[in-house]
Amino acid sequence: MAPALNKAFKPRRFAQLLLRDLAGGYRSMLVAMAAVAGTVMLVSFLTVFGQQLAGRHAGSGNFHFNLYGNVLFLGGFVVTSLAFREARQNGMGILYLTLPASSLEKFASKLLTTSVGYALGSVVFYTAAAAASEGINRLVFGFGNAFFNPFDTGVLEALGYYCVAQSVFLLGSVWWRKLAFLKTALTLQAVLVGVALVGGFTMRIAFGRYFTAWQLDLGDVPGWNELMRQTSLGLGPLVEIGRVLKIVFLAGTAPVCWLIGWLRLRDIEV
Amino acid sequence: MIEIKGMAFGYKRQKLFDGLDLMLEPGNIYGLLGKNGAGKTTLLKLICGLRFPQAGECRVLGYLPQNRPAGLLEDICLISEDLHVPPVTPAFFERLYAPFYPRFDHGVFVEHLREFELDGSKKLTEFSYGQKKKFLLAFGLAARTRLLLLDEPTNGLDIPSKSQFRKALARSTTGDQLVLISTHQVRDMENLIDPIIILDEGKVIFQESLEEAARRLSVTMEHEQPTDGGVIFSDKTLGGYVVVRENTAGAESYVDLETLFNTVITSRDRVRAVFGGSAAGKGA
Repeated sequence: MAPALNKAFKPRRFAQLLLRDLAGGYRSMLVAMAAVAGTVMLVSFLTVFGQQLAGRHAGSGNFHFNLYGNVLFLGGFVVTSLAFREARQNGMGILYLTLPASSLEKFASKLLTTSVGYALGSVVFYTAAAAASEGINRLVFGFGNAFFNPFDTGVLEALGYYCVAQSVFLLGSVWWRKLAFLKTALTLQAVLVGVALVGGFTMRIAFGRYFTAWQLDLGDVPGWNELMRQTSLGLGPLVEIGRVLKIVFLAGTAPVCWLIGWLRLRDIEV
Repeated sequence: MIEIKGMAFGYKRQKLFDGLDLMLEPGNIYGLLGKNGAGKTTLLKLICGLRFPQAGECRVLGYLPQNRPAGLLEDICLISEDLHVPPVTPAFFERLYAPFYPRFDHGVFVEHLREFELDGSKKLTEFSYGQKKKFLLAFGLAARTRLLLLDEPTNGLDIPSKSQFRKALARSTTGDQLVLISTHQVRDMENLIDPIIILDEGKVIFQESLEEAARRLSVTMEHEQPTDGGVIFSDKTLGGYVVVRENTAGAESYVDLETLFNTVITSRDRVRAVFGGSAAGKGA
């Protein structure tokens, strides 16, 4: 390990920091887990009960996959948004910022616990909660929703997307002093609206003569129909652009957010 | 150990330090005094990297504290007035935080907990403000950091605890340590802090040992208000007037902290002249 990195990152100190971060929030984590488990069981129970009332003696195949999506993304974004709350408050901030660990270690510890840690923890916990829930349903009604399969391709893909998307909320957590989740969500909305506006105006300028008032008739644009045909076959420039954008999102978003977040953590004053 | 040169810092609407110079050496328990808003707490925060200088330089143990390097942080302990403790027992707190401090001494920690009469089975969040402060003092002393920064350490402590604090600090401090105590409670710190640093209007206006202050200044109690030109400071008290003059006779006198502080604040130029212009920013 290079000397500078060795000073900024010591595995033993990092492990101790991880332990401190996990132990510090274990009570809130237990409360949240109990609430989620209760919600999963209740909603699943009511769904199956509804099916029985309707005379259909079969549960849903996608119920747990869909519900887990909410637990993973919504729950994960909220948890991530709270990660650096302690750095932003006066008394807590003093204790946290003067804790003998580098900013790199402090950022990496929060990153690991809220990304991979949360993703793996939630999948294991949800599998158990769903199994318990469906066990109860089968005992009570004789049928239930399909069990949650943590190795389903869709679940594994969702975990990957979560680890990328949560980096934005981790940046929000270190950026905003208060209400980080709300402010990050609103900022994302504002960015989306901005991109849509810029896109709309660009289209208006580039394809101005194909507009009727604010209505664009792309069918009149030369080559458009051919482009659409290729796209439907998974070919052509639109598909390539989409592929590049996806790679940029998956490979670029997280590192950029991590870098800015780490720099921001170094700059926090209390 | 602490070297501050030409440091400037201010908040949005208030310039606090402008060209602050200060040099502090280990083996001392410095007292940092100043009026409200003089910047005592801010100076402590600048020293441990919680605030960043806007100009000039602040070096602590050779490091720039604004980078908050782990190597420096493991040698700094700040006990601020804004106390925060996690909801864990003292033993669990030690388990979570002590490994970050390489010279942490479990025996010293346990000894101080016992001395401060803290209940080890209670969660820290269940402690009173004074108990939390005593707990953090016990931890800070046991951490054996080379730099111990205490912001109003006796605020919130009861009378026996103030005495316990003084004894514990005097006993635990070693020659390679520097303790910097910011306080208004000068009577609590009598016989503990020395040298004295006085901040006013963004500058260090006094930095001397009490021995030097006693050598240069003479303090007497007089029945009548003195009118002679040699008086640097006088203040009416119950028994008459406390009068401060230049100690030209070489007589021994005791300068209490409150009198010294008031003298320096009210007669800055006279004090500077008495100390030969060296009273401010000694060593800087």
